[in-house]
Amino acid sequence: MRIEKCYFCSGPVYPGHGQMFVRNDCKTFRFCRSKCIKNFKKKRNPRKTRWTKAFRKASGKELTVDNSLEFEKRRNIPVKYNRDLWEKTVEAMKRVEEIKQKRQARFIMNRLKKGKQLEKEEAIVEVKKNIHLIKAPHAGKAKKLEDKMVQKLQEDVDMGDEDV
Amino acid sequence: MGKSKQTGNHKSDKKKNIAKTWKTKRRTKDLDQIHADMKPGTAAKLLHQEVDYDVTGCAQHYCLHCARYFVDMRSLKEHFKTKVHKRRLKQLREEPYTQEEAERAAGMGSYIPPKTVEVKTQPVEEDMA
Repeated sequence: MRIEKCYFCSGPVYPGHGQMFVRNDCKTFRFCRSKCIKNFKKKRNPRKTRWTKAFRKASGKELTVDNSLEFEKRRNIPVKYNRDLWEKTVEAMKRVEEIKQKRQARFIMNRLKKGKQLEKEEAIVEVKKNIHLIKAPHAGKAKKLEDKMVQKLQEDVDMGDEDV
Repeated sequence: MGKSKQTGNHKSDKKKNIAKTWKTKRRTKDLDQIHADMKPGTAAKLLHQEVDYDVTGCAQHYCLHCARYFVDMRSLKEHFKTKVHKRRLKQLREEPYTQEEAERAAGMGSYIPPKTVEVKTQPVEEDMA
C-alpha cells in the first residue's frame, strides 16, 4: 500500500480515492479528484496551471532546491521490520518535517520582501508625480508676496527718514 | 501565464463539440507520446507508412508533430504555415511533463527545470508531390 502522488496537482492519492487513467500505451496516470482528471483530459499543462504544485515550483513561488526535500523518496526495496529502526524513522520524519516547514516559510517571507520594497518605491514615485494634490502649486506664494511688500515699505520708510 | 490569449474562435467547428473532444474514447495523442514519436526510428516509420485506404490521404501525408493525416502534399504544406502547427511546435520545445516531475513538486526531491528540445517542422520531400 502506498500513498501515490496526483499526476496533475501533486497532491496525495490515498488508497480507494481518486481515479487512474490507463492510456492505450499502458502508461498509467493517477489523479486525486475529478478536477485533476478533467484538466488532464483537456490537455492542460500542469506547469502552466496556476493552482498546481508543479506551477508553483516552476515559477519560483516555493522552495525548490533544498536538502530537506531529499528525504522523501520512492524506495522500491523492502526493509525488514525492526522496531528500533521504525521508531527512529518516525522521530526523524517529524524532525525533517519541522525543518522543512520552517525553511519553506522563511523562503516565502523572503520572497515577499521584494514586493514590499517595490511597493514603497512605487508609492514614492506616485507622491512625487501627484504632489499637486497634497500641496497646491501656489500654496504659500501670497504670504511670500506680502512679506516682500512689507520689506519694501519698510525700506521706503527708512529712505524717507534719511531724507529728513 | 495560464490564461490563453486566443480570441475569435467562437464559430470554429472544433469548438462545437467540446464535451466529445474531452472524452477518452477518441483521444488524440499527448505531447509525451509525440516526443516518443519524434525519435528518429519511429519518426521514419510514421513518415513512410504503407498505403492504408481507411486513413485520410491513404496515410501518405502525415504531420509528425500534430499527429494528423492530410489529404495531399499541398494541404500538408499549407498546414505547416498555420498557427495551429506553429503553436504545437512551441509546446513541443519543452521537455514533456512526467509523473516524476509531479512527485518532485510534491516534495520528493529537488526541482529540476525542464530542458528545451529543438523541434523543427519535418522536411518536405519534393519527389512525392
